[in-house]
Amino acid sequence: MAVFWRLLGFLRPYRRGVIASAVLAALAMGATVLLPYLIGTAIDETTAGSADTHNANAWTDHKGYLTFVAIMIVITAMLRLALTVARRLVAGRVSLGVEVDLRQRLYDHLQSLELGFFDRQQTGQLMSRATVDLQSVRFFLGYGLIFIMQSALTIVLAAVAMFFVDPGLAAIALAPVPVVIVIAWRYGRRARPAQQEVQQRIAELTADAEENVSGVRVIKAFAREQVQLHRFRQSVARVFEQAMIATRVQAFYTPAIGFLPNLGLAAILLFGGLSVIRGSLSIGDFSAFYTYLLMLISPMRTLGYMLGTAQRATASGRRVFQILDRPTAMPVPEDAPPLPEGAGRVELRGVTLRYQGTTQPALRDVSLVVEAGTTVALVGPTASGKTTLVSLIPRLYDPTSGSVLVDGADVRTVEPRSLRRQIALVTDDPFLFSASVHENIAYAKPDATRDEVVAAARRAQAHAFVTELPDGYDTMIGERGLTVSGGQRQRLAIARAILADPRILILDDATSSVDASTEQQIKRALAEVMRGRTTFVIAHRLSTITLADEVVVLERGQITARGTHDELLEQSALYREIVEKGLPDQVFLNRAPTEAVGL
Amino acid sequence: MRQEILRRLRATRGRGRKVRGMAVLLRPYRGRVIAMFAALLVATAATLAPPPLAKLAIDDGITPGDETVLYWTVAAFLASALILWGATWLQTYLVGWVGQRALQDLRIEVFGHLQRMSIGFYSRRRSGVLISRLTNDVEALDQLVSDGVVTLFQSTLTVIGTIVILFWLDAELAALTMLAVPLLLLGSLGFRIASADAYRITRERIALITAYLQETLSGVRVVRAFGREARHLKQFAKLNDDNRAANMKTVNLNAAYFPAVELLSALVTVAILLYGGYQAINGQVTVGVLVAFITALNTFFDPIQQLSQLYPTYQSGMAALDKIFELLDEQPDLVDAPDAVELGRLRGEIAFEDVAFRYAGQDQWALCDTDLRVPPGQTVALVGATGAGKSTLAKLVARFYDPDQGRVLVDGHDLRTVTSQSLRSQMGIVPQEAFLFSGTVRENIVFGKPEATLTEVHEAAAAVGADGFITELEDGYDTEVGERGVQLSAGQRQLIAFARALIADPRILVLDEATSNVDIHTEGQIERGLRRLLAGRTAIVIAHRLSTIRQAGRIVVLEHGHVVEQGTHDELIAAEGAYFRLYRDWAEQAAA
Repeated sequence: MAVFWRLLGFLRPYRRGVIASAVLAALAMGATVLLPYLIGTAIDETTAGSADTHNANAWTDHKGYLTFVAIMIVITAMLRLALTVARRLVAGRVSLGVEVDLRQRLYDHLQSLELGFFDRQQTGQLMSRATVDLQSVRFFLGYGLIFIMQSALTIVLAAVAMFFVDPGLAAIALAPVPVVIVIAWRYGRRARPAQQEVQQRIAELTADAEENVSGVRVIKAFAREQVQLHRFRQSVARVFEQAMIATRVQAFYTPAIGFLPNLGLAAILLFGGLSVIRGSLSIGDFSAFYTYLLMLISPMRTLGYMLGTAQRATASGRRVFQILDRPTAMPVPEDAPPLPEGAGRVELRGVTLRYQGTTQPALRDVSLVVEAGTTVALVGPTASGKTTLVSLIPRLYDPTSGSVLVDGADVRTVEPRSLRRQIALVTDDPFLFSASVHENIAYAKPDATRDEVVAAARRAQAHAFVTELPDGYDTMIGERGLTVSGGQRQRLAIARAILADPRILILDDATSSVDASTEQQIKRALAEVMRGRTTFVIAHRLSTITLADEVVVLERGQITARGTHDELLEQSALYREIVEKGLPDQVFLNRAPTEAVGL
Repeated sequence: MRQEILRRLRATRGRGRKVRGMAVLLRPYRGRVIAMFAALLVATAATLAPPPLAKLAIDDGITPGDETVLYWTVAAFLASALILWGATWLQTYLVGWVGQRALQDLRIEVFGHLQRMSIGFYSRRRSGVLISRLTNDVEALDQLVSDGVVTLFQSTLTVIGTIVILFWLDAELAALTMLAVPLLLLGSLGFRIASADAYRITRERIALITAYLQETLSGVRVVRAFGREARHLKQFAKLNDDNRAANMKTVNLNAAYFPAVELLSALVTVAILLYGGYQAINGQVTVGVLVAFITALNTFFDPIQQLSQLYPTYQSGMAALDKIFELLDEQPDLVDAPDAVELGRLRGEIAFEDVAFRYAGQDQWALCDTDLRVPPGQTVALVGATGAGKSTLAKLVARFYDPDQGRVLVDGHDLRTVTSQSLRSQMGIVPQEAFLFSGTVRENIVFGKPEATLTEVHEAAAAVGADGFITELEDGYDTEVGERGVQLSAGQRQLIAFARALIADPRILVLDEATSNVDIHTEGQIERGLRRLLAGRTAIVIAHRLSTIRQAGRIVVLEHGHVVEQGTHDELIAAEGAYFRLYRDWAEQAAA
């Protein structure tokens, strides 16, 4: 129920719209009540006219009044038309407004949540909440709420009128109402969790679909289409099963809600009829009473049905609030200052990080000072903590203990955007957006001119292949556009990082998919870019490692050795192994002694 | 203007396609569909019963003071209410069952269709838009099914019944009333024309939102790393607002349509009152008939109003169905030929005969005049600059694309003449990025061979040197890897991809820069595994680290889509051509 009220709370900014649509609805109802009265007047007049059998001019006599009533009916109907049109426009605007607000709130909040949250969430689950769930909220706020209000009002008014006519009969007629309320309440209690589970399973199905569409290349490569289809069938079957549980609840309760008012009608026919026969009630009062009771039937049914819609909206609302209520595990203090001026000195003080849901820490008690403007290479086996270490610098994760300082400021105390603007990260599997090449390179600096973009692309050795693309820098790439190879993507990502002009540059295996000749060219450019910046390099190739002023060897989340290339050759067995395995064929070098080797 | 109207009219057509499509969906559940209509019929009849029964009670029971008649009619009244209860229960259940079944079947059909589409199709579409077809559009239909079917059926039946009653009461007045019908139809047609684009656009806008969500949530690391949240918020706000605008347009149209139907009903009532009043006063009709007629008019217009209330939901559902069928009607471009051969166990001979290929929408050839023959069991290394066509060549072997010219043959069979299932199930492909699915490590390894035993899984993992880190994970082989394997490091994902390829025991292996993310230390470990993996299989290896490549039986050098050199390492070094230059560059780097 709390969720329900909270959903209604989102109507607050549209108070005026809500009030206006309620007033308009009430006025339209007034017009609706007026119409039968006017029609009744017209019929009375006709009855009087037809009783006037001896008057040859009966029609002429009664024509005037009849026409007057007819005009009144048309005017009332026109009025009702205007009121309803206005009401629908206002209500539509309000419900769409709430949907847009909620969706934007959700997206805002997602952008403020820490990365760790996304590691454990499926994209499809989040997508489902921002689309399917919000639509059922809108559907309810747009149509359901007004119907519930109208129905409730009709029921109350008709009930009051009935008590005026005959309190005793009214009590009998309205006896089922408390039962209806109890049943409706129980219906809600059972339907809400069932409906919520339906929405959850739809979200699971969305996640399933998302993954299958994104991973279609692997599925095709392994000829797994049939198996994946079978698995999707199971997801679909899960939705069906749960939808049927919800349907069974609905099938059990709604007809009962529809049946009870009929019981009231039968009681009135019987007891009211007997009273008339025995003379304690006039036939006129009985007819009026009966008419009022008939007025109750349809709103009762609407109410029962709309309760279902309300349940669905509440279930969806709860799922949306689950996300909105999740506090960010990476809070930023109020009025956090921007990152202080500096040249990019990075310090890790006793940093330990354990990812949620794992027992082994990814980093343990790592302390490291990297002076501004120097280049550090991180070396170590798979999963030794290299990527984790560099993720801490732009505060993509917070350490479990210890602290990370950039230019003397703890990254937890500064405004994150000002920090991240000063850091550029290039990963081994860079993500490009569905946009033009230009927009992708200018991602960190959207107002960059074409010349700046071209200059960055040239340094990243991307200019040559970009100019060969169908529309050059305006070629659409990413999902909907051209597929670019892994090596090309990495070069675009390097160009993107160069254009960001950061204090700190992080290259996480950034050239792994680039061929050797191109890499050599990139490296020359990088050597130039690195000047004056603090650079972290994660690489598997010795040639890249030797660009560094210092090498840090990581094993199982700990620094086991650090020093210059020569120092480490003596100190670290692991480093020696890496160097040996990476060295080129000695035969080749011996064979071509005249070739200049080395940078 | 006229052409615009005609275009819009045409845009709302395709009703035949929709009806046929729905009939196909419902056919398997014929029995239940018939039962559903029976329940609807009984429920409608039971809904219509109370008013005449009440009239009977008043006219024949209460007014003449006959208690027996009163008792009997009340009993009949209660009976009809009970029948209504039962029929509604059945109807709710059956409509839910049939509707949900059909919708879920539709989902499966769309999904199955997507699985049949080629890789080329996916590179033209945004995945979010495809997902929207499976989710948002099916939801729009769900709304129509759960709210619409009952109303549609009951209202239509009631309208037809009432028309009969109206004619029975007074044919002349009824004929007058029927003058409203063409007006109604004309109004609905006008509404359809006016709203033809509006509903389609709402479907497209929500798909755009879905696609944007999908992309920015998948790329959330980049967004964060560059601190660009504000920009995405702004862009999302715009899409969100566009969606609002599109929906607002439908709200505006609805706001005009439904009340207009109400107005029409009032106008018809006025006409009947005036004309009927004239006749009554002149004695041509009794007042009783006129009153009955006016009352019946209400029962005539009520369901029509309900139908017009439903019309927007209907339109929205139909627009969604249009979008879904549009996707289903798109022919997969790489289907098995009708007489496609089931490949037996492959020896693994690969041949390219004068192959040329370019990606859709590109002028440049990705591969050109390519002739290549790989004997069974040989390892061929593809070498060349980025964009030289190495991956393209590998993709053609797996028949992700068909060549524009020439043929690709495996064991002498043109790939276009064999079933893709029998081909790909004998191929192991380890791509550049190891895409893992959410699930456990084990589930990911057995991806290509779901029936593999736990021992096989351990063996495969051990062979590629992955068992070490896997056993150290929280739950070992049952550790959840997260979406895309996000809980693992890039190198770990790659090792699992190796194990995944190995366990499928392929005859042809394609390693597309598969070792670039693995550090040298680990690469040493998997080298032994790789050797085992390659033994007795044909392999195509793409790598930038030429140390991996030296052992290959043959090295093929590609430049701008052409094969420029091929031979063994020693031969190519001796030739001092393109390979020699590449190798020198690499050696310089590695030595530096």
